[in-house]
Amino acid sequence: MSEGRHAQGGVRFGMVIDLDKCTGCGACSVACQAENNISFRPDESNKLRSITWMSIFELNNGGHYPDYKYAFLPRPCMHCDSPGHAPCTFVCPVNATTRDENNGIVTMVYPRCIGCRYCIVACPYHARSFNWWDPKWPEPMESMLSPEVSTRMRGVVEKCTFCHHRLLAVRSKAYKDGTDPDKATYTTACADACPAKAIVFGNLLDPQSEAARLSKDPNAFQILKKLNTKPKVYYISAHDWIRKLSDNAVA
Amino acid sequence: MRQKKSKALASKPLGAVFSLSGFIVALVVGWIVFPNLLYSKKAQPLNFSHAAHRSEECESCHSLRADGTYSGIPGISRCRECHESAQGNSREEASLISDYVEKNREVVWKVYGRQPDNVYFSHAPHKGRGLECTRCHRDVSKEEKLPAYRQNLITGYSLSTMKMVECEKCHASKGASNNCEICHK
Amino acid sequence: MNFGRRAFIQAAGGAIGGILVSPLPWQLAADSAKWSQNWSWRPSPERGEITRAAGVCTMCEGGCAVQVRLVNGNRAISIEGNPANPLSEGGICPLGASGLQFLYAPYRIAQPMKQTGRRGDISGLKPISWEEALGELGKKLGRMRAEGKSRELAGIISNSASSMSDLWLQFFTSYGSSNLFRMPSAADGLRLAAQLTTGKASPFAFGLGNAEYILSFGSNLFEGRGVASLVFAALRQWTREGKRSVKLVQVESRCSMTAARADRFVAVEPGTEAALAMGIAHVMVRRGCYDVDFVKDKVFGFEDWSDNTGKKRRGFKNLVSSAPYTPEEVAKVTGLEAAKIEELAEEFASRQKALAIWAIGQADNVNGAYHHLAFAALNALKGNLKPNGLVSLAPAVPLAGLPPVQKDPGADESAGPPGLDVVRSGSAPYRRYGFYEFLDDVREGSKCSVEMLLVHEANPLYSIPENKLFEQALEKVPTLVSFSSYMDETAAKADLILPDHTAFERYVDVVGIPCAPFSYYALGAPVMKPLLDTRHTGEVLLRLAGSIGAPVRASMPWKSYEEYLRFRVQGIAQSRKGAIADKPDVPIIKLSSAQSVQPNYSSGEELWKKLKSGCCWYDAPSPVAGFETASGKFELACRSIGAEGALGDDKLYLPHFAPAELSGSESEYPLLLVAYKPSYTTVGYLPTPSFMNKLIPDKVLQGGDILIELHPQTAAELKFAHGQRVFLKTTQGGAAVRVNISEAARPGVVYMPQGLGHWAYDLYVRGKGANANSLMEVHLDPVGLMGTLLPCRAQLRSEERGNL
Repeated sequence: MSEGRHAQGGVRFGMVIDLDKCTGCGACSVACQAENNISFRPDESNKLRSITWMSIFELNNGGHYPDYKYAFLPRPCMHCDSPGHAPCTFVCPVNATTRDENNGIVTMVYPRCIGCRYCIVACPYHARSFNWWDPKWPEPMESMLSPEVSTRMRGVVEKCTFCHHRLLAVRSKAYKDGTDPDKATYTTACADACPAKAIVFGNLLDPQSEAARLSKDPNAFQILKKLNTKPKVYYISAHDWIRKLSDNAVA
Repeated sequence: MRQKKSKALASKPLGAVFSLSGFIVALVVGWIVFPNLLYSKKAQPLNFSHAAHRSEECESCHSLRADGTYSGIPGISRCRECHESAQGNSREEASLISDYVEKNREVVWKVYGRQPDNVYFSHAPHKGRGLECTRCHRDVSKEEKLPAYRQNLITGYSLSTMKMVECEKCHASKGASNNCEICHK
Repeated sequence: MNFGRRAFIQAAGGAIGGILVSPLPWQLAADSAKWSQNWSWRPSPERGEITRAAGVCTMCEGGCAVQVRLVNGNRAISIEGNPANPLSEGGICPLGASGLQFLYAPYRIAQPMKQTGRRGDISGLKPISWEEALGELGKKLGRMRAEGKSRELAGIISNSASSMSDLWLQFFTSYGSSNLFRMPSAADGLRLAAQLTTGKASPFAFGLGNAEYILSFGSNLFEGRGVASLVFAALRQWTREGKRSVKLVQVESRCSMTAARADRFVAVEPGTEAALAMGIAHVMVRRGCYDVDFVKDKVFGFEDWSDNTGKKRRGFKNLVSSAPYTPEEVAKVTGLEAAKIEELAEEFASRQKALAIWAIGQADNVNGAYHHLAFAALNALKGNLKPNGLVSLAPAVPLAGLPPVQKDPGADESAGPPGLDVVRSGSAPYRRYGFYEFLDDVREGSKCSVEMLLVHEANPLYSIPENKLFEQALEKVPTLVSFSSYMDETAAKADLILPDHTAFERYVDVVGIPCAPFSYYALGAPVMKPLLDTRHTGEVLLRLAGSIGAPVRASMPWKSYEEYLRFRVQGIAQSRKGAIADKPDVPIIKLSSAQSVQPNYSSGEELWKKLKSGCCWYDAPSPVAGFETASGKFELACRSIGAEGALGDDKLYLPHFAPAELSGSESEYPLLLVAYKPSYTTVGYLPTPSFMNKLIPDKVLQGGDILIELHPQTAAELKFAHGQRVFLKTTQGGAAVRVNISEAARPGVVYMPQGLGHWAYDLYVRGKGANANSLMEVHLDPVGLMGTLLPCRAQLRSEERGNL
């Protein structure tokens, strides 16, 4: 849907995560699960089967005790801004995952997905999860489900949407209030939840936004930049060993 | 051989009749019988006469909330504002009072325009942009009796559930975005 | 004319044509496509208006202000932080964000239950009505009291400070029993140390927001829970200018999350943090780099002193200068190099606003009283206990006090068998910390008997270290009454269950935050109707009080828990202290006792309304000034320890490193086991919620197997491979575990995460690994009688099954 048919808008939502502020608590991941109706199973220890949109990875400096150091890397979808296509949207045979060129968000239409999992293979960040089972909530936990996000079914892929439904909600409000919907901004559930305020979300093209400012920080970096995926999620760390890991397969 | 041929010729007009009757029967089946079979008719739990509420503004019951979401069908608390006690002596009115208002139960209306879970539709961008409500909804201004809710037996959707192609056509003609993300959640 | 084959084909041809120009095939194709995308059994969440209701999180003691998102005002769907709260600024922790999984938990207890079969038999627990349950409990309590067996009632409640714990205390006091125990926590030690040194009975609090250098002795700040609200507020304060302005030095044996995120990790042998503190004190004293004026004017026992009998006693300076505390000797104990100790001491001594912290964060009470005193001594040397200093005492919240308990003329104190309080009176001045001693006494059954045990918001059968002590004690208790909302391990053993509402279905409050220097109060009103046939335990207590006897009734005169809370909040209003924080920019974390907070509410009613709407109340810290010790000074030599008879050894009055005598022989148990509390499990009353299960790394849990951390070198010595199944054994018990070879582990030490190994609840909770508490050994501290959790000796044997 994105072969230049839609002109790129003036909005590019992105995220900056300060790894030096992050304590690895996991609040972002849990807030994301609650916000996006992510299903869970009794055993979540097989991480290849476990569905998370915001995963917390551990990075370490390869040192030996006591000079061993580690840090945490919260990993949402990078919403790659590579020209034309993100790696995942490029391979999707059924247009179930596309990028909205008006704001750069890559989303999924679940019923459209045929479960081929090409996108999972294509994603260098392991940001996509597959529903190997029907999502089931133990009685009465279905009552916790949010109507703002549709539930998935067995056999489809899902991933972080940058809480796209929140964008729809603020746009809706902008229409109602008569303000410019294209100027409406919002934050994601993970950024809201972060108790250390390590996650900043905003329009990377708006020079006034905190996210745009931080993304240009001298210590800011992107993961696997060399692949030219142009991730819209930036990380910040003053530690060299963390920044050096950015080019490796950390995710 | 000749005889056979003449027989065949003779049956030609007859054949046309057969074909035509088959065609007509199929048309009847396809246009009338099938749609009736495909959609079950379900009555609403209670009748609501839009005509009887004509003195009210549409917005007093169906409006955009402050956060931009659409209120849809009002809840029983809104009904109670006027119908604390019976406003007439019809059977429906009595049912409204005794089954819902007094028990503080919500009326489980069947929503004609209900979209599937993975569809996001906001009234805010559509309302007041040269689009009348009747562009998508039936005209209820003079409606005395709620029509039956017709549910597709295969999909489970309402007959009035908007089809994606209709959304897309209109979006395309108005220059609105047709990105998947605009309407899917 | 006959309708032959040809005619049929002709008709059929026509029909096909007709069908093709009718909507039928296209509609069928489209509908089939939609049908194939419709998975009718996947849940379709109810739609409606989404609103937010303010509340306070009570899942730990942090008191974070939260908002519950509701659909149509009655279906809670998620919990968010409250952006108006200055402590959280909208942030939330993973447990808080999972909170609704407890509301909708499948393992919730739906109505009162009574055990009709053998204790512990879940199928024997039969539903009964509230009237039956309350009637039965009321009758039993009434009878016990009439028989003069009031003291045979015991209770175990949560360790978080709330009006609920005060109501429990009132109930027990008016009933005539002093056997009410809070679950043990690290704050016990902070309170004990403060009491010994300052004479005041509130725990030490730390000015994290104003410090510039923090020397943390094993305080797992970033592991969450407990003081997460405080720590994150401080963390945001430290990084407000972009770069971290505070140097955090973490002293402990394992490279924990806090150690990894600290500016410096000082790795020591487990349990020797206090030795390092003494070593640092040694260097500071030797070099004279301490707050000489403060020590001279305000500290007692730095120099040698004389006790009441006139006997000359050794002071702190003398002790710390002695041989065991030279850097060389401390180096041997801690495993650090002597030069590093010197350097660390110099850094601590020379830095402005340097603070030593301990026992704050996710921590068990790993330190005995003397270790607590050693850490406090470092702060005394830095002069941190001055007014406006970095160390203060947790201030009291001026809530209305509960009415004095009326003595019951009918219940003669001397009648009946002695209760625990009588047995122990006169033994130690700090009896209130004797939870483990209580368990011991009940278990042995000789000193006292307990007829009925009430347990509220606690799961001691699972969650106390050396949990078999509770199991054994329970065997001697004829009736266990649980007020748990969940079918936890303890509730499953109950004879009677009167389930409480969960957090967002009831009135709750938070009275102060552990280790916070400022005063804090927050309140939460129910945000939705109770889902199940449960009742607020506070209301249950009020109701029981009414049925037991006039004096009990008169001591608890409120009609409802809401009325009780209103009464308490009036106390704050009448004190005219503190203010309501309704904006995130109130610098609550930076407050010092030099500042005064002007009330911004005019009436008690306004205060109540504001609190109910999600605003918190706060007040500036109160200065420590005016020590209430015998000397009127900060006592480095704690004379109250010897109040009941002079102690032989001078050092028993002083902070010192007191290595534990570990049970088991080193030859049989060559390793040390340290249990740690990770951020991704919960260890107390609440089990780990399903959302948080996803956070548990696969290096900690794989299927049903728990992994212990082992240093590569130790693993190599033992010839263990990564992932290998081994058997971990201590003198207390054993568990099948697997090996995670990790550089975070200290050689020779086995690290086991807590919070796993539940056997109650549901499939999502139980059957995950082993419970570290059943392997640990608890030591009774000689001063405070509090249970101290030290590393214990352990061995690892390879299991026959070998690798996986």
